[in-house]
Amino acid sequence: MLPAQADLTNRDGMAFATGLPVRNASHTLRALPPILLRLFVALVYLFLLGPIAVIVATSFSPTHSMAFPPPGFSVRWYAEFLHSDNFTAAFRFSLVLGISAAIIATVIGFFTAYAAKRLMQRHGGVVQSLAMLPLLIPHLLISISLLLVLNFVPIPDFASLLAGHVLICTPFTVAGIIASLDGVDAQLEAAAMTLGASRLTALFEVVVPLVAPGVLSAFLFAFVVSFGDVYIALFLSGPGTTTLPIEIFSYVQWESSPVIAAITTVQIIMIVVLGLVIEKLVGLRRIMRV
Amino acid sequence: MQSSRKLLAAFLAPAALLYTVFLLTPVSFFLAFGVMRYDAIDLFQPVLTLANFGRIVLDPFYRSIILLTLKIAALTTVFALLVGYPVAYVLARGQSAWRGVLMFLVVAPLMTGEIVRTYGWIVMLGSEGLVNRFLIALHIIHTPLQLLNTQTAVVVALVHILLPFMIFPLISALASQDADLVKAADTLGAGRLRAFIEVTLPLSRTGIMIGSLLVFTLSAGAVVTPALLGGKAVQMLGQTIYDLVLHTLNWPLASACASILLVLQLCFVTIQIRANRRAPRPG
Repeated sequence: MLPAQADLTNRDGMAFATGLPVRNASHTLRALPPILLRLFVALVYLFLLGPIAVIVATSFSPTHSMAFPPPGFSVRWYAEFLHSDNFTAAFRFSLVLGISAAIIATVIGFFTAYAAKRLMQRHGGVVQSLAMLPLLIPHLLISISLLLVLNFVPIPDFASLLAGHVLICTPFTVAGIIASLDGVDAQLEAAAMTLGASRLTALFEVVVPLVAPGVLSAFLFAFVVSFGDVYIALFLSGPGTTTLPIEIFSYVQWESSPVIAAITTVQIIMIVVLGLVIEKLVGLRRIMRV
Repeated sequence: MQSSRKLLAAFLAPAALLYTVFLLTPVSFFLAFGVMRYDAIDLFQPVLTLANFGRIVLDPFYRSIILLTLKIAALTTVFALLVGYPVAYVLARGQSAWRGVLMFLVVAPLMTGEIVRTYGWIVMLGSEGLVNRFLIALHIIHTPLQLLNTQTAVVVALVHILLPFMIFPLISALASQDADLVKAADTLGAGRLRAFIEVTLPLSRTGIMIGSLLVFTLSAGAVVTPALLGGKAVQMLGQTIYDLVLHTLNWPLASACASILLVLQLCFVTIQIRANRRAPRPG
């Protein structure tokens, strides 16, 4: 029984008898909580965005100090970043790794999503849940396990790092593309097939163009997931295969300098731009719906 | 029919292959190490033993690590729920034009990754950072507080980093509720708070469960944030596994620690499901 229904039986007589005064009293009381609620939510947003704003501000510091607010304005830390071979190499490597992992994860995600949504009558939901598996196993564990495999099977470092990144990106591409397929009427393919198109023709000429924005968003989101990852790369990064987050992690462990703020600001800007593109294409929430 | 079966198999093959070869096989292989004997040269000896688990349970050093991991993960989950619920409520119920922007601002920080946000807290909590400067300016303190390398710093940063994982399942649960239920409770004189406690809250249980599960799992396995913000003061299970693999090279003990991490998660899931069953079922 609903709690609300319990209320009804307890005091319906009273509520109706004194109907008007009760409502007036609750009106004055009701004005208060929304203001408190909004204030609280505003504070939470301050908490969410504060550290990121502080990074951006620190990146323009003219001195070596990490003091906040910075004592002036300069772009020297951006110049420092561009002249540091370690960081630029790691940045480039993360870009290459992210794009490769995102392409593979999107292709695999597309076929999996299509199979779960259109080719299966009953167990599509099971496939969808199984696809989420890499999100439920701690990434630390996936990374160590892949490192262990490297001890016994001679595969190149880059391949294991790539495999790890494809693994952690695939749940997002599957979920994102399934959400896009939900928005495409299955009748359209049926119609194309009735008119003589094979399933594959219908797939590539009818479905793919319609879900293209969703697929592109899934790709971009997968790239972002790969670019931000620390856990997979924690064990699988090596000389020549160091990702940007790992380079930053090993640097920050020993010293702190605004050059890290400059690098992370570049990363933040890149990610915000990609986020806005995804938002325009399909809306970020549809991909986050895992 | 025959050809559509073949097509289905072909479409599912890449993911099946990826998950089997690079996820299930390696992870099972690694977990199997937990019952093997440690060997300094060959990584392990093929001798079955429970010594690794015995050591974790009996050695006070490992026991304190497990307790601290549980404490930090539990605190992070509780605070993320307390902080995230009002935000999810406003985002799910509000009709303001800002809703899309507010939603974006929850996801965008998530996308920057753990290292960027951990770094943000290093800058915030330093002795000359924003928090200390602010407190000194308000004359609440006179000398900078030691904020870095404390458990508080780790919990605050983990709540910040994992908050979106709490907010999204909550939004889904709250948005799928029939808003008329609250109106009905209101009409019947329940009042705002009572309607929330007796209608909204119980109906959002699934969201609370999924969100807490994600936050607990991710915080219990954290390595980077405790390493950078907790220093020596906070030694959690994730860092212990990291050190055992990369520095001590004791794979069997690392594997046993990882199993414990998975068992903690499993316990958490079981507790949640039990609690969910015991609670009075609305509707």
